[in-house]
Amino acid sequence: MSSKRGTHEQLVGGMLYDGIPSLVAAAHELKSPLALVRQLSLLLEAGDITPDEQARMLRQISLTSERALRLTSDLTRATRLDDAMFALEPINPQQLCIDIAHELAPLFAAHGRRLSVVSRKHPLLLVANRDLLRRIITNFSDNALHYAEADSAVEIQIRALQKGEIIRLGVRDYGPALSSDMWRSLKSKLATAPQTVHARPQSSGLGLYIASQFADAMKGTIGVTRHRDGATFYVDLHASRQLPLL
Amino acid sequence: MSKKTVLIVDDDAWLAELYARVLQKAGYTTHVSPHAIDAMSAIDDVHPDVIILDVLLTGNTAFTLLHELQSYGDTGAIPVILCTNLAADISLDDVKPYGVKRILDKSVMVPEDTVAAVRSVLL
Repeated sequence: MSSKRGTHEQLVGGMLYDGIPSLVAAAHELKSPLALVRQLSLLLEAGDITPDEQARMLRQISLTSERALRLTSDLTRATRLDDAMFALEPINPQQLCIDIAHELAPLFAAHGRRLSVVSRKHPLLLVANRDLLRRIITNFSDNALHYAEADSAVEIQIRALQKGEIIRLGVRDYGPALSSDMWRSLKSKLATAPQTVHARPQSSGLGLYIASQFADAMKGTIGVTRHRDGATFYVDLHASRQLPLL
Repeated sequence: MSKKTVLIVDDDAWLAELYARVLQKAGYTTHVSPHAIDAMSAIDDVHPDVIILDVLLTGNTAFTLLHELQSYGDTGAIPVILCTNLAADISLDDVKPYGVKRILDKSVMVPEDTVAAVRSVLL
């Protein structure tokens, strides 16, 4: 039995990494969409499929390619964080989140899921870089898409914390709960390295690492909350002091 | 002779759909489970003849499921085909005790390899 356990930890542990984006993690993240695109292409080449199936497979290829391209763009941006100047400005996160939900709607629909923004009556303003914030929320949404149960909704939520000093943007999915062991491991890593949030086990955690780097560049933090029926990955950013002037 | 049933456990819905399509054309009945918890229920419901299993799943990994399968005499006898992007990191000898009969590498396989693998483990 001990050899089985050893094999398990070696294989699963080997896909996680601690804090530093590695070529191995990037390769792993890109392998899945590329493998899917390749196999779909091979089936298309083989023919013997109906026009409806062909259209569906072509759509899957384009949407999967777009997901892979988003990751490569994020990787490029993450490696240049130290060299670049990212202007921070007051942003209405609700409008940004609505734009993201609109942009990702075809991908979610193709997977039989929905992405929605929980609207606030009184919009909040936060200080962020629009591009980096967009990438974080898109990343969380993409992550949630993978874990959400079929036909379920993924929600982008916006909340004010600490008497309005902090604005939290969370992406809530409704899927399998994180196991207690997994949760303890996640919380332990959060406690010792607050900027290193690991993904659930099927992922190398690269996407969340990139999100944490982007949040750090905006003086924010990311984190995760476990629910009985899923999880919320969130980013906390400073509220804009321009809000009272509006 | 009744159709053999293949349970596909993969959290990539489109890849699972692709495997199902190829296997159905080859005459198999298929059932897809997106994660290990659903797979355990499906095993009780559909009594699969073969399980095609991704390694890194949502929630629990494939190894949790394999441990569970090995806990019971009837489920422990179901042949398992690992279908994973981690194939290069897994030795068949290491996972044979889990009931794994074949390993397919998602990154180099062709869709029909699933059919060949299922046929080979059912011989």
